[in-house]
Amino acid sequence: MIDITNLNPGPAVGIGYRAAIGEWTLKNLQHFDVLEITVDHCLSSGQFTASAIYDLVGRIPMTAHGIGLSIGTDVPLDLAYLDKVATIVERLQAPAYSEHLAFTRAPGRDLANLLPVPKTEAVAESIIAKVRTVQSRISVPFLLENITYLFEWPDSEMSDAAFLNLICGETGAGLLLDIENLYVNAQNHRFDPCKFLDALPAGLVKEVHLAGGVTVSQNYLDRPVLADSHSHPVPDGALDLLDNTLARQTPDAIVLERDDRLHAGDEILDDLKRIRNRIAGQHIGNAHGRTAVGSAS
Amino acid sequence: MVERLLDRQVSLLEYLTSSGAIYGASGAAVADQAPPGFDPGMLRLEACFSHEKRMDKIQSVFPQTFRLLGDARAGIVRDFAATFPPVDISRLANARQFHEFLRARWQESLPEPPHLRDVAACEFAFAMARAPSPVDEELPPAGRPARGAIRRHPGIILLSCEYDVRPVFEAQGQDQSQDQSRDPARAALSIRRETLLAIFLPPGEQHPQTFEILPVVFDLLAVLEDWTVPSEFVLGPESDELIRELADSALIEVRL
Repeated sequence: MIDITNLNPGPAVGIGYRAAIGEWTLKNLQHFDVLEITVDHCLSSGQFTASAIYDLVGRIPMTAHGIGLSIGTDVPLDLAYLDKVATIVERLQAPAYSEHLAFTRAPGRDLANLLPVPKTEAVAESIIAKVRTVQSRISVPFLLENITYLFEWPDSEMSDAAFLNLICGETGAGLLLDIENLYVNAQNHRFDPCKFLDALPAGLVKEVHLAGGVTVSQNYLDRPVLADSHSHPVPDGALDLLDNTLARQTPDAIVLERDDRLHAGDEILDDLKRIRNRIAGQHIGNAHGRTAVGSAS
Repeated sequence: MVERLLDRQVSLLEYLTSSGAIYGASGAAVADQAPPGFDPGMLRLEACFSHEKRMDKIQSVFPQTFRLLGDARAGIVRDFAATFPPVDISRLANARQFHEFLRARWQESLPEPPHLRDVAACEFAFAMARAPSPVDEELPPAGRPARGAIRRHPGIILLSCEYDVRPVFEAQGQDQSQDQSRDPARAALSIRRETLLAIFLPPGEQHPQTFEILPVVFDLLAVLEDWTVPSEFVLGPESDELIRELADSALIEVRL
């Protein structure tokens, strides 16, 4: 296994691997410390894509991410799927495996889109049991990712941070903090993202996602909403939240996610530069003994 | 009595994949159907996003089919959404549903242009060829095929087309304004010919290849879905030669 923490001071910076820009990714490998591999792409995108991914083993550190577990569906986990994931994670020599704290399907329907679960103690208990199952079958640390959500369940009774802390605290799972999701949720649901970050125990965040989205207006909505489309440069507001995160957390990897407008390679490289600048600024800030960006009061 | 979370999740997904949520038949009606306690506007946006994402997956499998559908596309997609809710995350499973929907629709009335049926069949075959090959299950010794047994390579898809639609795909990389198949009637007239195709993804390649094959080859490959001992056929010397050629070109596998 390649230790991504030994390559550079601070977190490794990279992108989520996408087959559509596989060739471009190879040509620009020197710009990335790490690639995040979506394990489901190894499972279902065909032999060419899987081979292209496995050919990268040993050339660059890779971390494993999933989109198909649907841990929030109120049914037992698909153990056959988990065992396939375990094999892929081993083959990638990934230091961690992450999944979303969400549900995407229920018997008879698969939305293939991440939906929130009710934030209640009962639901947390059910997910805690499933996280333990994942941890018993996958040999590397398991990380949960906070999702972006457009709607809340009416019976939710906990904050996002309290819900995540409860599950991670009980299981020892780490957090893949998606800062773009936090930024989008804070804007759409009008809460202070810094309070969310302040509520996370130091050391909980093991990996970070960043991305850029769009603003959507519809006649049936009472206001424009942000959508996490992974299509545009990372907004400065999200990078400010990265500053805030790095002041208290020491993630091993920061991954830029891009799923649309993939032809804009320059934007991707520029985003990575902006992320590295924020990390460098953090180190300078710490070196001078001052507290880095704190939460807005 | 408190409703189980699973039941509520099922209801929510049924709503989010319904035409009412995606297209919003009327504001009041949609709000009436939405599960109680949720923000109906946000649910509708979620339904639209998810539907668009699904259709993007499907369109990536059927680019030429969607182009040729032209003005009929919006209505067809709407009917599809109403009759085939998503049941699987994968691109291939959603493409299979869409192809099944088109085939059923075109049994009722022929598509326009008429070669569209073959274009859609080819595009779905390309997607199947790209999918991971099924892994052979380990059979007990008694169940294993005999040495010398042959079968069609599992990654090969056979298609019997009414039209030779290969020019549609060959034109894919050309300037769209130069694409003859944009004129459906002209394209249909120029390519109407029964065409037997074998489609497969050569090892290490990204794009499937399409070959026109002779009727005798098509028929032989069609019956070779499972391992078969060649002597079970009434075969002459020409057939032995044919099997050798097919094995050399990796269209069939020979059990060693």
